[in-house]
Amino acid sequence: MDEKTIDLIVIIGMISFTFGPFLFSWIFGNWYQKSKQKALVEREAAFGGDPLTTLRTAPEATTESGLLVANIIMSVSWWQGMIGGIHSIFGGTITTWDKTLSWGRQEAMQRLREQCRDSGYDSVINMRLDTSEIASSKGKTKALEIVAYGTGIKL
Amino acid sequence: MQPEGQSQQVQILMSNTETIPGRTIGQSLGVVTGSTVRAKHIGKDILAGLKNIVGGELKGYTELLQEARAQALQRMVADAAKRGANAVVNVRFATSSVAGGAAELFAYGTAVLLQ
Repeated sequence: MDEKTIDLIVIIGMISFTFGPFLFSWIFGNWYQKSKQKALVEREAAFGGDPLTTLRTAPEATTESGLLVANIIMSVSWWQGMIGGIHSIFGGTITTWDKTLSWGRQEAMQRLREQCRDSGYDSVINMRLDTSEIASSKGKTKALEIVAYGTGIKL
Repeated sequence: MQPEGQSQQVQILMSNTETIPGRTIGQSLGVVTGSTVRAKHIGKDILAGLKNIVGGELKGYTELLQEARAQALQRMVADAAKRGANAVVNVRFATSSVAGGAAELFAYGTAVLLQ
């Protein structure tokens, strides 16, 4: 092998090691997240009705109640994180984080609905949503926890 | 959500509203708190890091925080039981990340005696 071929191999190698994971993240991340979102929409449609309310008072006829908590940890893919980083240079809406967060909230609320049904409550009052940041030990994994909680009531 | 390990004789009701729906509060016994600090298992941490490439939910962390929150609630309930309460109203949660990869889960509420 002459020097030129070796140079070429090194350059291609460097490029694929740098951008390879991001390309992988773009292709599989999109596919994975879309399939999960589709499943969520189907679950929501199958559930029908919405037992969640943010009202603070329970109806008079309440017989039983209990605390319900549902949570989810969401993070953006490497690709989305990179796009988000580029977005944040120019300011404005960071669509990737935007979408991930709203999807996370939807998922947490759906889990609360399912928990409400599974524990035999008729509806949930005073539902609250909280978001907090979870950082990994290396500080690389940026993730957000979304927790939905409320009081389940039986009529 | 009933925290594990709660004794059967003293059933402590929990709610995040100002009252326990359908019951009357007789006496307030002050604020009760429960907290726990949890760090992730290194294996789980690495797996979550890999999962992060495609984004979406990090299941390992979800379960971890769920368990931690249940423990914080359990400690809060134990505190309430010690004061002789039979319900905790207006339960709130707080989360903060403390030094390197550990998260503190905190639950607090007002212990009350129902009539």
